Amino acid sequence: MKPAMRRPLPRGRFHRQTAIAHPAEGSPTVFLVMRRMRAPLIVLILIFAISVFGLTLIPGQDADGNPVRMGFFDAFYFMSYTATTIGYGEIPHPFTGAQRLWVTATIYLTVIGWAYAIGSLLATLRDRAFREALALRRFTATIRRMREPFLLVVGYGQTGQLLGHALDTLGRRLVVVDRTPEHIDTLDIDPYYADIPGLVADARNPHTLGVAGLEHPACEGVVALTDNDEVNLVVAMTVALVRPGLPVIARTVSPAIEHRMRAFGSPTVVNPFDRYGDHLRLALHKPSAYLLTSWLIRGEGAEMPELGRPPASGRWVVCGFGRFGHKLTEDLRADGLEVTVIDPRADPVPGVTVIKADASEPAVLAEAGLAGAAGFVAGTDNDATNLSLVAAARTANPALFIGARQNRPANAPLFAAMEIDWLLVPSEMAAREIYARLSTPMLWRFLQEMPELGDEWAADTLERMRAYCGAHLGALWKLTLSAGETPGLRPWLRPGVVLGDLLRSPRDREQRLDAVPLMLMRDGVTVLGPADDTRLEEDDQLLIVGRPYARRSLVDTVTNRVVAEYVLSGREVPAGWVWQRVTGKIPTAAERSESPVRSSDDP
Amino acid sequence: MSLEKVIFGFFVLLAATLNFGFFIGDISNAALHNEYELFAAVVVNLIATVLKFGDRTQIGAVHLATSLVADLQLIAATLTWVYATQISSSGMTPEATASVVSLSGGALLANLVSVALLVIETTTFHRR
Repeated sequence: MKPAMRRPLPRGRFHRQTAIAHPAEGSPTVFLVMRRMRAPLIVLILIFAISVFGLTLIPGQDADGNPVRMGFFDAFYFMSYTATTIGYGEIPHPFTGAQRLWVTATIYLTVIGWAYAIGSLLATLRDRAFREALALRRFTATIRRMREPFLLVVGYGQTGQLLGHALDTLGRRLVVVDRTPEHIDTLDIDPYYADIPGLVADARNPHTLGVAGLEHPACEGVVALTDNDEVNLVVAMTVALVRPGLPVIARTVSPAIEHRMRAFGSPTVVNPFDRYGDHLRLALHKPSAYLLTSWLIRGEGAEMPELGRPPASGRWVVCGFGRFGHKLTEDLRADGLEVTVIDPRADPVPGVTVIKADASEPAVLAEAGLAGAAGFVAGTDNDATNLSLVAAARTANPALFIGARQNRPANAPLFAAMEIDWLLVPSEMAAREIYARLSTPMLWRFLQEMPELGDEWAADTLERMRAYCGAHLGALWKLTLSAGETPGLRPWLRPGVVLGDLLRSPRDREQRLDAVPLMLMRDGVTVLGPADDTRLEEDDQLLIVGRPYARRSLVDTVTNRVVAEYVLSGREVPAGWVWQRVTGKIPTAAERSESPVRSSDDP
Repeated sequence: MSLEKVIFGFFVLLAATLNFGFFIGDISNAALHNEYELFAAVVVNLIATVLKFGDRTQIGAVHLATSLVADLQLIAATLTWVYATQISSSGMTPEATASVVSLSGGALLANLVSVALLVIETTTFHRR
C-alpha cells in the first residue's frame, strides 16, 4: 500500500490489489477473561491450599480423646463447604481449640478470596474494553458469514439512514460503519427487514474498512456519506487502493475535495449543493423533464410531485453566500439571470450585486429590492434564519418564487407549513440520487440522457406514465433478454421480438400491459422511449416502469414458453408435454428459428 | 530478568519436581508415596495452569494444554486415592497405590513436556 500512497497515480493505473494487513486476529474473548482472572484464581488456589494443608497438620481429637489428624479429603471437604458459607459443622469429630483457631482465620481468608475472584470477574465482564472486544468479534463473525452481496455504508447520519431504509426496503444488504454510537444504535431501534451489522469506528483507519468487509468477496460497493468531506475522501482513497474497480459513491459539498477524490480511480461523487442548482436550471428550461426526473427518483409508490415553476426571467435574491450560495449563484448566472446576494461575510464577485449585511434586518431586505425581484432563496446554514427570511420576503412581495434550504430533518414540518416553492434538503437530495444510482443503474443513465431529448418528449413520457400507472409511480425494473433471464423467449430471440408484442397481456393479448418502456440499451448504446415496433435482440436490456402486476405478468411471459407462445404469436398451446403431443400443438422450438414473428398492430 | 518469568519458571519446574518426587519409588508400596507431596503437586500444578492463562502465542497455547493434561492426571490420581482411603473397604492396597502412582506418572510426562517447552522458549528468546 505504501508505494501507491507516495505519489498520486494517474487514473487507470490502479491494477494491483493491495490487502489490508489485519491486526493480529483477536483472541477469543474467553482468553481475555482468563488473562484478567489469573491473579484472583491464584489467590483462591493458594488460600484453599494453605487452609487445607493447615487443617491436616493441626492435631485433633476423636470422641475418646485420642489424638487424630484430619485427612486431606476431610480437610478439603470441610474447607469447601466452609469457604462457600454452607457450613455443615465440624466433622469427623468436634474440633479442638487449635483447630477452631485455624478455621477462624481461614474463613476470613476464603471469604476475601471469593469476593476478590467474583468481583474481578464482574468487573471484567462490565469492562468497556472487554465489551468492545466482544462487539467487534461478533461484528467480524457476522461479516465473515455474509453470503449475499452487500453495500458498505460509511457514515450513517441523516443521508445514510434515508438511503439505508430505502435500500433495505428493496432487499439490499448493508453493512454500516459510523463514528457516532447513536447512529449505530438506530440500527437496533428503527425497523429494518434485514439485520444490518453496524460498527462504531473511525473510517479514516483502513483497518476499520477491512473489518467491515471491504475485502469480502460479496462487498459490491462502498458509499461514503459522513458529514466530514475529509473522511469521505479517505474512504474513497482506501477503496481505490485496496479494491481497485469496486464502485464507490462519495458525498461531498466541496469542489476541491471532489477534485481530489477523482484523482483516485473513478468514484461517483455526489454534491447536493451542486445538484440543487442543476435541478433549478433544468426546471427553468425543461419543467417536464425536471418533473419526470424528480418523480422517478422518488421511488416506487411516490405521488407525482407538485413542483413550483421557477420564473425563467427576472432578478433573484440569494441570502447566504457560503458554498451553497456560491454554487447556486453560479448556476443562475450561467442562465443569464441577474442575482443579488445578501451575506454579512460575502466577498464581492464580479457581475453579482453583493449586499454585505445581515438579511434579517428589514432595511437590508428593502435595499435588495424584493418588490422587483422574481425569485428569493434563503440559503443560510441555519434553519431558523431561513424560515424568518422566507416570512419576511413573503411579506415584502407575495408573488415571489421562494426557495429555501432545510438543514435539519426535524424541521421538515415547519418548512412544509411555509409552503416553500423549491425546498433543498441536502441530506435527502444526496440520498435520493444515490438511491437512484444504486437501485437501478439504468435509471440513472436514463435521467442523464433524458433532458437532451427536449421538454416535449419528457411531457409525452409523463403523460404515458400517468396513463398507464396512475398518479403513483409504479415499479421500475430492468429486463435483460438473455437465455438465462428470459428462458421463455429463447425460440423467439433469434429472429427478434417486437417490443409491442412483448408488452401484451398474458390474459388477453389484445390488451396491453400497464407498463411504459423507458429505455432500451444494446451494447452500451441507449434508445430512450423505444417505440412499440422496436425489434428486440438477445442481450438487450430494457428499463420499464409499470404497475406491479404488469411486472409479474411480464415475468410470466419471459419465463414460460407456453405463455410466451400465446403472447407473441396468439397460438394457444397446452402446457404439458403429453397433451402437446396428443393435440399436436407443439410450442415453437429454438431450432425453428425461421418462424417469423408476426409484427404487431398496436393493441 | 523479569520477575514474571522467574515466577512462571519456578512454578512450572516446581510442578514437575513435586510430581517426580511423588512418583519415584516402588509403584505398589504406599509407604514410598507421601500424600502431602501429591497435595502439593496438585496445588502447584493448578497455579502453573492459571499462570499460563491468556497467553496468545502458539507456544503459550501448548503450554496451557500440557498443564491441563497434568491437572487432569493428578486430579484423577487424587480421586483414586480418595476412593481407596474413604470409600473402598480394603483401603490402600498395593493395586490402589499402583494406580494412583501411575496416574501421577502420566502427569509427570506432561510436566516434563512443559519443562521442555520452557527450555525451548528460553533458548529461542536468547537467540532473538
